[in-house]
Amino acid sequence: MSTVPLSRPGRPALMSRALRLTPVAVTAVLLLGLWQSVVVLFDVPVFIMPSPVMIAEAFQQDFGTIMSASRSTVESVLLGLVLGSLGGVAVALVVSRFPRMSGPVLNTAVLVNCAPIVALAPIFNNWFGVTSMLSKAGVAAVMVFFPVFVNTTRGLLQIAPLHVEIMESLAARPRQVALLLRLPNALPFIFNALKLGTTLAVIGVIVSEYFGGSTEALGVYIAYQAALPRFDYAWAGILVSGALGLAMFGVVTLLERFLMPWHESLHEEES
Amino acid sequence: MAEHAIISVRGVDKVFNSGSDRAVTALQDIDLTIGRGEFISLLGPSGCGKSTLLRVMADLTGPTSGTVTVNGKTPGAARADRDYGMVFQQAGLFEWRNVLRNVELPLQVAGVKKEVHRAKALEMLELVRLSDFAGHYPWQLSGGMQQRVAIARALSADPEILFMDEPLGALDEMNRERLQGELLRIWGDTRTTVVFVTHSISEAVFLSSRVVVMSARPGRVAACIDVDLPHPRTAETRTTPEFFEKVKEVRQALHGAPSEQAAA
Repeated sequence: MSTVPLSRPGRPALMSRALRLTPVAVTAVLLLGLWQSVVVLFDVPVFIMPSPVMIAEAFQQDFGTIMSASRSTVESVLLGLVLGSLGGVAVALVVSRFPRMSGPVLNTAVLVNCAPIVALAPIFNNWFGVTSMLSKAGVAAVMVFFPVFVNTTRGLLQIAPLHVEIMESLAARPRQVALLLRLPNALPFIFNALKLGTTLAVIGVIVSEYFGGSTEALGVYIAYQAALPRFDYAWAGILVSGALGLAMFGVVTLLERFLMPWHESLHEEES
Repeated sequence: MAEHAIISVRGVDKVFNSGSDRAVTALQDIDLTIGRGEFISLLGPSGCGKSTLLRVMADLTGPTSGTVTVNGKTPGAARADRDYGMVFQQAGLFEWRNVLRNVELPLQVAGVKKEVHRAKALEMLELVRLSDFAGHYPWQLSGGMQQRVAIARALSADPEILFMDEPLGALDEMNRERLQGELLRIWGDTRTTVVFVTHSISEAVFLSSRVVVMSARPGRVAACIDVDLPHPRTAETRTTPEFFEKVKEVRQALHGAPSEQAAA
């Protein structure tokens, strides 16, 4: 194996990234075109499926409302994401310190996760108040907790025996083993879990907003427009919530590259 | 030599799965005294317990019976005081740390101030001639370079003893010989006591001031052979008649080991 000089991705890397995204963009445009022509050709009624152009018009009309609704939804999603992942990492750290606990605790977590967590939404509304952000963020947090906890635990415990022995030969204290070895070792696992968690958090918040809350929220907006019925507006809301999930996924990916430069380089090497 | 002893092993036995019918005696009645500043090789066939003996000295495993003294203390106290540095067969660098931060690890664990350990780590990288690679990550280095980083890491906290468990075993012949030369230079520069486990006769002879020949099943010390080849030892040393003579002597000790008769 020869040595490779350290270099940040420069212009060529950006170009190749743009080239890689081209098929995605082409596919998206083709799909939108297909959707539009099917709706127009077969005269599909709006309550079945509005055309992309109609949705875009609805979005434009209601832009202000949708944006302020998105804002409070995003706040709930972020709060839920932060609470759920901090909780997941914290419990995983405790479990990794006492590996004999990991079996029972993991099994309990799996059991809890088998319950349809979004069904908790009315209960959380009851606990924290229907208009409270905490009742929405709470559902998201419970949903995010599970993948973060399970993956982080695995990352904390799946350590090369040689690395453990090196720390042992250095007479490292358990706290140092946790901070200098287990946690960095778990980082790739944590980021994978966070990527899962972002989409789960968006689902959790939107669905719990269906069960009521302050009117300025995407879930409330979608449910209300569908009831009117103004399905083109409902669809605009749905697409915006999809975009939110995608954007947060992107932020987590950027954070991962920033916090784990060694990992990013590994990926570039492989690809 | 006893008054300058840095490591002493007295009557050490090590039995794995002791008490069960799968009990294996890895070490039997080992007596060994290592003097300060020596370069000792533990040489023997696989299964002779040479790595186990090293791990007993390093307190990575305990002896079943017998006593071990390292730097005047129990091995546990020596480990806690960070009296030794250790290099394994695999470099085992932390892939999330660059070269410099890997070398800093022991200092960081020991609680040395940040300003101090940066300077010390750079000095160690200079010692293994990797100063230009301080910012590289482990995956960007060759196997031989990774092992040099591991050596720098083991020496960064200025230990009095360096334990090496077949550190060059995973390298190709050319890298191996080059690193052997480097190792002797580093030993000369730091005056550290080195205990080096290997199964290569020529490696043991080239590096050591004394070769401890071990036999297998159970692991015992079969012979101790002083190597008085002059320093500095270079590539030419390997071609001298004295070198060949020493290799022959060690080989005979190895083959005359009782394990061969026991196995036959």
